[in-house]
Amino acid sequence: MSILPGLGLSAPLAAPPPAQHQSSRVQELQAEAEWRFEVAFGASVKVKLLHGTAELFGTELAPKVTYTFAGTKAAIFTWHGCALEITGECESEYAAEETPMLMYLNVHAALDNMRKGSPTREGPRVLVVGKENAGKTSLVKLLTAYALKSGSRPTVLNLDPREGVLSIPGTLTCTTFASMLDIEDGWGSSPISGPTALPVKTPLVYHFPLESPEEDPKMFKPVATRMALAATSRLEEDPEAKEAGFIIDTPASVSSARGGYENIQHIVSEFSVNQILVLGSERLYNDLTRRFASAPSSKPADEAVNVVRLDVSGGCVERDRAFMKQVREAQIRAYFFGDVRNTLSPSTQVWDFEQLRILRVVDPTAALNPSFLPGDHSSTASSSLPIFESTLPSLQLQNQLLATKHADPADSHPAIRDATVMGFVYVADVDEAKKKVRLLAPSSARVEGRVVVGGSWPEGVGDLVA
Amino acid sequence: MSSALPSAEVALDFKESLQDLQMNNRYEISNLTIIAKENTEHAQAISRVLENHIRTAPPPRKLPALYVLDSIVKNVGTPYTVYLGRNLYSTFMDAYTLVDGQTRKNMEGMLKTWKEPVPGSMDARPVFQPEITRAIENALIKARTAAVHQQQQARTQRQPFALPPRPVASPATPWQNTSTPPQNSSRYAPPPIPDTYQAQYGYRSQQALSQQPAAQYLPRPNSTSTYSNTAYGQVPSPGRDLDMLNDDVARLILAAKTEFAASPYEIGVQQRLKALLDLQTILKGQTLSPESLAAIKAQVAQLSVALQQPPATAAPVVHSTPQPWQPPTPVAQVYQPPPPVSQPHQPPSNLQAPISFPPDILAQLLASASNGQVSTPVPQPALPARPSITLVSESTPTPVPALANGGSSLLDSLRAAGLLPATPEPAAAAPAPAPAPSTHPILPPYLPPQSQNHLQTIGTPPVRHAGLAPPGLAEMRMKISMTSAALKIPRRHIVALLYEAQPNQCTSCGRRFLATSEGREQKARHLDWHFRINQRIADSVNRGHNRSWYVDEMEWIRSRDPDESTMDPNASNDGHNKSAPAERKGPEDQYIPVPTEAALANVNCPICQENFEAVWHDEAQEWVWMDAVKVGGRIYHATCHAEVSNAGGGLVAGRVTPDSTLGKRKAEDELNDLRARLKKDVTAY
Ligand SMILES: [Zn+2]
Ligand SMILES: [Zn+2]
Repeated sequence: MSILPGLGLSAPLAAPPPAQHQSSRVQELQAEAEWRFEVAFGASVKVKLLHGTAELFGTELAPKVTYTFAGTKAAIFTWHGCALEITGECESEYAAEETPMLMYLNVHAALDNMRKGSPTREGPRVLVVGKENAGKTSLVKLLTAYALKSGSRPTVLNLDPREGVLSIPGTLTCTTFASMLDIEDGWGSSPISGPTALPVKTPLVYHFPLESPEEDPKMFKPVATRMALAATSRLEEDPEAKEAGFIIDTPASVSSARGGYENIQHIVSEFSVNQILVLGSERLYNDLTRRFASAPSSKPADEAVNVVRLDVSGGCVERDRAFMKQVREAQIRAYFFGDVRNTLSPSTQVWDFEQLRILRVVDPTAALNPSFLPGDHSSTASSSLPIFESTLPSLQLQNQLLATKHADPADSHPAIRDATVMGFVYVADVDEAKKKVRLLAPSSARVEGRVVVGGSWPEGVGDLVA
Repeated sequence: MSSALPSAEVALDFKESLQDLQMNNRYEISNLTIIAKENTEHAQAISRVLENHIRTAPPPRKLPALYVLDSIVKNVGTPYTVYLGRNLYSTFMDAYTLVDGQTRKNMEGMLKTWKEPVPGSMDARPVFQPEITRAIENALIKARTAAVHQQQQARTQRQPFALPPRPVASPATPWQNTSTPPQNSSRYAPPPIPDTYQAQYGYRSQQALSQQPAAQYLPRPNSTSTYSNTAYGQVPSPGRDLDMLNDDVARLILAAKTEFAASPYEIGVQQRLKALLDLQTILKGQTLSPESLAAIKAQVAQLSVALQQPPATAAPVVHSTPQPWQPPTPVAQVYQPPPPVSQPHQPPSNLQAPISFPPDILAQLLASASNGQVSTPVPQPALPARPSITLVSESTPTPVPALANGGSSLLDSLRAAGLLPATPEPAAAAPAPAPAPSTHPILPPYLPPQSQNHLQTIGTPPVRHAGLAPPGLAEMRMKISMTSAALKIPRRHIVALLYEAQPNQCTSCGRRFLATSEGREQKARHLDWHFRINQRIADSVNRGHNRSWYVDEMEWIRSRDPDESTMDPNASNDGHNKSAPAERKGPEDQYIPVPTEAALANVNCPICQENFEAVWHDEAQEWVWMDAVKVGGRIYHATCHAEVSNAGGGLVAGRVTPDSTLGKRKAEDELNDLRARLKKDVTAY
């Protein structure tokens, strides 16, 4: 097992331990107020709950335990009032008394009622939509955390390829949560080979190497369909998951009126969504109400879709592109190197060019060039257009992420597109002269014989391997 | 959402209510507490008003006001503890010097409780910070010492308060724990105390001191509260109607809260409290039609009656002449501060203990209330009405089901609620403890908002309707409908389900557990798990862990991510395959140690081509591959190998081999179905 040299430098342990002299202060919060804070990447802020109760997106802070935050924009809310000890410099911070938490609490209670009151023991299938920075993911986390606290095990579906859930960007995931979320790390960790301080969560990971579904709906829809089938099958096999239902997070792009909400329509029908939570946008709410909830008599009650509009938290801040890029980098680092609490040792593997068969997603916007057509493995009539093009390693691939899939190279393009991800490798180095590729892989397991797929998303990450 | 009222207005409102507080009236105190609770954003203004009032009120009214303070800091807590704590010393001591000896004893008892956590609270901190209470205590000790000194000097032998502990409250001494309003003193007061310095501190033995508070918290029989009867015995005017209703509801809430504090994890209790608080919100926020009001009133009356009934398992509290089936006789209950935990007398929860009024009544109550609610148009953006709203508003003029039959309806609803024997089957419906929520309560004549079919059932006796989905519970749970209007109503009591109802918190990860024995067991296992995991983490620092491969669809569908932190470590730690029937040492329980040879570290199963996942095996105390077997130098999944050998060696692609155990085969079949569906679906694109 070849462990990377310079690992300690490149791993995301970068947050320097706070100097001893760093003074701490106490932030008092009255009941139903929250402390909103932003911590830059590379900085770190420690928070300790001195007394009272406090929660971060619904997950409760343990009393007198120090939590460390880096590269985050978040809010710590208290139902009962609390005092927080804060050490370190925030980029911005303030206490706010106006929050939509009472409304969100009602949403949780209504969902909880549906879960526990369903005669068929079938939980609600909830879709969260809204514009950019409306707090969709925060709400999904909150509802997930509250569901867990109430003894339910919801299945969370992330349909936003810009940010991974228990994985890296460029993925869509399904996860049935059975254990609490991680205060410092958002969702927690996918399985690793060693013990973890919080139970791990097992995601099912699909590859969607484009920035948004709208870039290529023809690719998004079948993958979403496939996900829905797997997730629905899980519910059929797992009564607890069935009783808890789905909570589906979406990228803001599906909520733009330009596409006519084609992708929302698809998600609603594939996942049998029956509750749509619209964050903020009045227009989106009106459009979706017209589309899904207007003609009640035409549909049987059990297929009715309820649309409701929720207030947006004043704490929702814009996360600019530079910040989001750093978030993505951090997720990718954490995939290979773990975090402060669980340091991982990825391995490097050196491959000959011809050992590696790489499929790249054909850019849907580029004019179709017939000369790029690969040897056609998809002889079925239905797939007339190639989804992937076969490429040899080149310098262009340097710093890119590639997915290894649960698929056979002989499978059809659609089958490969819809296959789930086994893991990711990072192209650390391409030596065109020697025709060798150096890959960073999660473990020393070789990926020979597996399908390796790349796309335009997430963008390459420099200096992952120092 | 917080109200838009300016602090001054809220404070004025609070002040006026305070000025009405003449004596130790439990419901008025709880009302003031509720105002304080609902206006925490104005806590500072409210605290100032309260302090001023305590300072300026005539001595007999100081104690009731202090009980308001006590109730607020215990029931609401922060930020009031902060604001009121600042001047607590002067608030307390200024009052103390002006009141009579009996009141002082009450104040001392109160002070004692401030040094303790709120009984039944999850918060282990004392009500006020120790520095605050200590300062007051020191002042009291000084005063006491001075008094004793003075007494000795004067050789005064009067022992005004060194009385033996009082017997259990008798109707003759109903107001013993209140201050002594002058106009009532002949009736209620303990012997008047000469207001001398000596008498003020004139108890001498510690015994008397510690006994006294016990008497102070004794329950008072309801029937002796002549005050309340005069207050409420008048013919109600329409405006008063709502006030009375609000009062009654507030009183029921208080009782439910006490019960909730005693058994926070009992779902029946939670639901009752929740329902009552919901009702209160509706009453406060809406203008109700007279019919709705009347209907709600009748229901509340029933609850009040139920509340007055001596519960079967109640503590030996004397309830004189319960009047079960009369219209409401609201009772001014004496506010009883929670006793210090160390006091060896009955906790107050016993007073209210298991009052069982059936949740059905509440369901009706809420049904009628929400009917009323809809009759007032909720301000909303002009939008197409959603189905639930439409249906409910169609039924708006519908009288509350229970009243549909005129005079006998009350009896009907009482029968429905199980408070009276049902006519046809008298034995069935004896008053029973609130049904567990998992059982289906008898269908009350309740109108579910979604189904017009149910209109036919209005007013008919409770009969279970075949073909209808189990009613009652489901409908009760649906009462927070997913509409903008319903979601805007604050329901703070829900917070208790996430916090107070699970008081048992893990100090290392913050996770909460129920206070049941099951919860305690879970927590014990959970703490063990933290310990084991931390050890393992420490042991494995240098092992060089890595990210596992993600599972494929079949494995994910069958995976369960069991909550290992609360699992019995001796139980099988084979997380997935839960759907297969438990077998003793089936192939999936077989394991081999993770091979140390590098060549084998990433070997795949030759049958299914998948890799093995390393898990820590507690018994073996090492890393193992579960569901693995070594045969002839090669490593297989034990299940794969078993399937293949059972099939007589006929190697079929994948895991599609038959003749495995029934459960597994069933699961496989289902998964193969899925596979087929997935394949079919894929080709469709
Ligand atoms: Zn814990
Ligand atoms: Zn196998």
